[in-house]
Amino acid sequence: MNYLLGLIVLLIKIAVMLGGLLLVASYLVWLERKLLARLQIRLGPNRAGIFGLLQPIADAIKLLTKEEIVPTAADGFIFRLAPAVVAVTAMMMFAVVPLGPDIRLFGRSVPMVITDLNVGLLFVFALSSLGVYGVALGGWASNSKFALLGGIRGAAQMISYELALGLSLVPVVMLAGSFSLTAIVDAQSGVPFIVLQPVSFAIFVISAMAESKRIPFDLPEAENELGAGFHTEYSGMRFGLFFLGEYVHIQVLGALTAVFFLGGWHGPWLPPVVWLMLKIFIVALIMIWIRGTLPRLRYDQLMALGWKVLIPVSLINIVVTGAFIQFAGFS
Amino acid sequence: MPTLKIDNREINVPAGTKVIEAAERLGIMIPRFCFHPALGSVGACRVCAVAFTEGPVKGIQMSCMIDAQDGMVVSTTDAEAVDFRRHVIEFLMLNHPHDCPVCDEGGHCLLQDLTVAGGHGLRRYRGLKRTHINQDLGPLVQHEMNRCIQCYRCSRYYQEFTGYRDLGVMGIGSRVYFGRSAPGMLESPFAGNLIDICPTGVYTDKPSRYIGRRWDYQRQPSLCIHCSLGCNLTASARYRQVVRHEARPNLEVNGHFICDRGRYGYAYASIADRPRQAMAAGTPGPIVDILAGAREAIQQTVEKHGPGSVAVVVSPRSSLETLAVVKEACGQHGWTGPAAAHTNRQALNRNTAVSCLRPELAVSLAADTEAHDVLVIGADPLNEAPMLALSLRQVQRRGGHVIVIDPRGVQLPFDFDHWAVHPSAMGAILQALIQEIGGHRATAPDTPATFDITKLARRLNASPRPVVVCGTDILTPHEIALAGDLARALRRTHKVAGLFYTLAGANAFAAALLHDQPVSTEAVLDRIEDGGVRLLVAVEQDLWREFPDRKRLQAALKRLDHLVVLDYVDSPLNREAGHFIPTQPLYESGGHWINQEGRLQAASPVMAGGEPIEITGGSDHPPRVFDRRIPGDEPLAAWRAVAALAGEDEADPAPQLKTALADFHPAVNLSTPEATGQRIDLEAIAHDLVESGPAPEPAEDDAPADAVVLLLVDWTFGTEPLSAMAPALTRMEAAPVARLHPDEIARLGLAEGRPVTVSLNGNRLTVPVQADPRMAAGVMAVPRHHLLEWQVFGETRVIVKRSQLKAESE
Amino acid sequence: MSENKIKTDEKPLKPAESSGWSALKALVEGFATTAKHLARKPVTESYPEFKRQLPERSRARIVLTRDPDGRERCVACYLCSAVCPVSCISMQSAEQPDGRRYARWFRINFGRCIYCGLCEEACPTSAIQLTPDFENIQRDILTLVFEKKDLLVDGCGKDPSYNFYEHAGVTTDERGKGEHANEAPPVNVKSNLP
Repeated sequence: MNYLLGLIVLLIKIAVMLGGLLLVASYLVWLERKLLARLQIRLGPNRAGIFGLLQPIADAIKLLTKEEIVPTAADGFIFRLAPAVVAVTAMMMFAVVPLGPDIRLFGRSVPMVITDLNVGLLFVFALSSLGVYGVALGGWASNSKFALLGGIRGAAQMISYELALGLSLVPVVMLAGSFSLTAIVDAQSGVPFIVLQPVSFAIFVISAMAESKRIPFDLPEAENELGAGFHTEYSGMRFGLFFLGEYVHIQVLGALTAVFFLGGWHGPWLPPVVWLMLKIFIVALIMIWIRGTLPRLRYDQLMALGWKVLIPVSLINIVVTGAFIQFAGFS
Repeated sequence: MPTLKIDNREINVPAGTKVIEAAERLGIMIPRFCFHPALGSVGACRVCAVAFTEGPVKGIQMSCMIDAQDGMVVSTTDAEAVDFRRHVIEFLMLNHPHDCPVCDEGGHCLLQDLTVAGGHGLRRYRGLKRTHINQDLGPLVQHEMNRCIQCYRCSRYYQEFTGYRDLGVMGIGSRVYFGRSAPGMLESPFAGNLIDICPTGVYTDKPSRYIGRRWDYQRQPSLCIHCSLGCNLTASARYRQVVRHEARPNLEVNGHFICDRGRYGYAYASIADRPRQAMAAGTPGPIVDILAGAREAIQQTVEKHGPGSVAVVVSPRSSLETLAVVKEACGQHGWTGPAAAHTNRQALNRNTAVSCLRPELAVSLAADTEAHDVLVIGADPLNEAPMLALSLRQVQRRGGHVIVIDPRGVQLPFDFDHWAVHPSAMGAILQALIQEIGGHRATAPDTPATFDITKLARRLNASPRPVVVCGTDILTPHEIALAGDLARALRRTHKVAGLFYTLAGANAFAAALLHDQPVSTEAVLDRIEDGGVRLLVAVEQDLWREFPDRKRLQAALKRLDHLVVLDYVDSPLNREAGHFIPTQPLYESGGHWINQEGRLQAASPVMAGGEPIEITGGSDHPPRVFDRRIPGDEPLAAWRAVAALAGEDEADPAPQLKTALADFHPAVNLSTPEATGQRIDLEAIAHDLVESGPAPEPAEDDAPADAVVLLLVDWTFGTEPLSAMAPALTRMEAAPVARLHPDEIARLGLAEGRPVTVSLNGNRLTVPVQADPRMAAGVMAVPRHHLLEWQVFGETRVIVKRSQLKAESE
Repeated sequence: MSENKIKTDEKPLKPAESSGWSALKALVEGFATTAKHLARKPVTESYPEFKRQLPERSRARIVLTRDPDGRERCVACYLCSAVCPVSCISMQSAEQPDGRRYARWFRINFGRCIYCGLCEEACPTSAIQLTPDFENIQRDILTLVFEKKDLLVDGCGKDPSYNFYEHAGVTTDERGKGEHANEAPPVNVKSNLP
């Protein structure tokens, strides 16, 4: 009985989470287009509905109804698989993101997280590493030079920044003393880690943006060099899945930033879920702002930044943090 | 062999080469307007100026006027020379009208090219432009004198090269005018070449006037199939329509020019009534079904009556591919034929000529011009093979002598000796001539004293390079063989002597290689009449127009079980035929042809075929439809259609063609591309086929005293069936008349201009009479004119009693 | 190989230009600029509601203009179809009874046209001209194939005065030999007078 109830609750949580994710993803697109337009003194979408609010629906209909082309020379199975890998891994990361403290429902304690893994952080890393397969395989399976170049760049970029990303979170784990995301949030009930670990925060945000392949790190799909990079050959909803993956990734990024550095759901006056949402929203806005402002890095600059700056700095940061904990008795 | 340096590159050229030609050998194209390789130098335009920096000549000189000499150093890029040429162009452009957009020459205009190349853009001169009134020069050539730059190419070509006098130069100073003394049709049948040689748009092509620009045309090297000479030309097509022919220089065949019959005879390929739809008994159907039906009909006939009951006639105009596939099909299946001549005499004439043409004797049309003295036997060059007349004109220009022995009133545009000999006397004269040449005193045949055989033999013997030209249309095989003997006799005394036959049909030479014993349509009709042949396949052979006995033909065709026609011209037989299959003319199929001297030549396909847009659009814009299919694209190359009729299934016929061509004749070798353009291996042709015996059977009915020889002859325009379909040429042709000597007219009691009726075996031919004092007595020449129903007597050379010739009363 | 080294005029950056400070300054300036844009009114003109008056020489729908006297200017010289990089112009020239060369049919496939204006540049008679009218989108692609009747307009377009047949020395019903601009009367060939 208990087991069945737990399953039902879990399914409901997954449904709510997925629904929310997809809805927010589609409106994140709208927000990005609108905000980007204003940053560039344009109007942005304004035809579908008031302020173009129906634009995401129009886009979805368009993507769903468009012809899906599989190039003759492509590896059909992998070609079809790749976009799903990207979208699914991005969405699965949300499984470990805590939205708030446990709440009591019908006399039971329901955790506001789908599953509170004790190695949640490693789970996030694992999925984020898996996601790169979607890009690399999609680029390879297309059997097109642009797509292949995009895929290779994507893989190289992910490998380079995964290290910095991981290393940047080591101090966080050291401070929280746990890999569980819920525990990390709990550790920030007083001071958010951004105050204690500003360097880690900066490295994390930069690396995470590189992971999500967004401007200024959009080399895998650099339009003016590679057509559309790894998804050059994709059309219809398969392209839509890549697209969806990117915007879910933004939310993941926002959520992880919030969880690791901004104190998760903690905040005064407002309910915890709203706080988390707000923090995700702010991170997303900043990412859009960055997109509207910065140009794309050159490939050598990208590599230099990852290997020569972020990794050494995060290593030093770990040493410094360790020293503090050891000698100053933090935590 | 002077050696000179042009633009720092050394070249060794034969003595007498002009500097402009020497530069051309180096690939340096010095600008020129008046210089033309066929016309030579005149130094009129001054645009070929180059700088001579060292050597016997110094300074700015005209490169077309200076012979290449040892030690010359020439610069074409010298600043002074370039400046000189630029000023010459500007000077030539002073009076040029502002009309390139409406000028047909625009796009392939030498003046336009050189003006642009010289950098002249704006007219600086403020004075008025000199203008001229144009002339109507007939339906072929459009005149626009304002564009003239006084290069004199036209008058030099027209008067010096072709020998005609009605177009020339008049006026003085800046008022020089090129034209006729009065507007009117140009007399020369080579007038179309004015269009090619004019460096600007003074003479432009009238039938293709305002049709399009050179750059829009689909242009391919092609051949003329309107006589046996095989002149080379470039065919242009636009919007699925053949619109223009231009001469394609081939110094071994036609030189730089072609005749007007070849230049304007292309209309048959694009006219509205060209059959493009396959038909079964007059009912249109898909070509695949019709082919299958025809194949079935053939199989049934073979099953019922044996393979010999199927006969094939083919045209000596068809491509080598068609002839080869037809020969292969007949050989494999045991069908009767193929017949590639109308009458037994014509078939024998052709094969005699081919077998007499030994490799050491054969000369090409161009080599004719190097001949010193030419004896023309039984040929009317201007009417039968016009370019031959132009070749003979060059012989005469070089101081050679032309003697024509022919019963017709042969006309040539230069001075020549004409022996108007009665056809029955030709053989005797030739035999006497052979004896005289061999050094034997011959008993003079019964000829007028003016025909001094001894003198002629002496002249030919003294000539450094005599050539015998022999026609095959009006003669008998014996005389044709004698012409060969004559050439051989000359060769025995000379070492150099040439023999040149004209044949009937562009590919007649190849048709002669079909069989050792020639088969004629006449023989096939005999077999139809005795019931031996039950099914006839006519491949591109328009029997209706060309077989000389239409009544007999129709009766014979009625006896047939089945008639299959493959053709690209419209004919009543197409609708009567059990199966009609449209074929492609050479512009669509391409192919190989062997001209009368045995030269194998290739024509490339010019266009893909299909009904011209002019027709599908009804003279307006093309239909507004999207379609993958081109309307009227069903016609097949004749060889493909024949292969489909002979084959068991619808397999790819290309390998079949390959074996058919390989098996065609040992003399014809298509395996190497180098063979094209060269003479075939004449040695491989059996030369013992026709022996010129001492004398033929006594001329039992050859020349009864009370008889007239009626010759059905060729005319330049109007008798060749394909070119007769060209609207421009029908305006050139004269109305059909019977030509007789005035004495003969008087003797017969006829009146000039009044019709005469020839009645023979119940057949009648009525035609107006024209007196021609150049004709031999006892001969009547009637053209095989498309406006005349001449297909009545079953032969093109018939003996008619004087009593059978009657003045037609009105 | 050393002499093959590519020489450039590029000087190495001065320390001040490559310092972290200037980079940070540039970053901040960039973010400030885009942030300021948020407060500005967008410059976009919403197209169907607001239609801007396009310059006379903007290149859109192609027309065939007429002479000042109202006759077709096009002489079907094929220069426009020759220069067209996408081969969207086709025509057939012919002669009118009055001696003028004209286009019997003239077709522009606007489905193919890239509005490059080379045809207008090539036209020797100012007949073919591009207009600012760009609103010619059709659902049926065949309706984008314009025939001569769709292309011909009344008026001279951008060139109000040019009349080709006034200058060209060809005989038409309007002008004979010697009656065009800058022409002397026709030469009398039979005369010997200088």
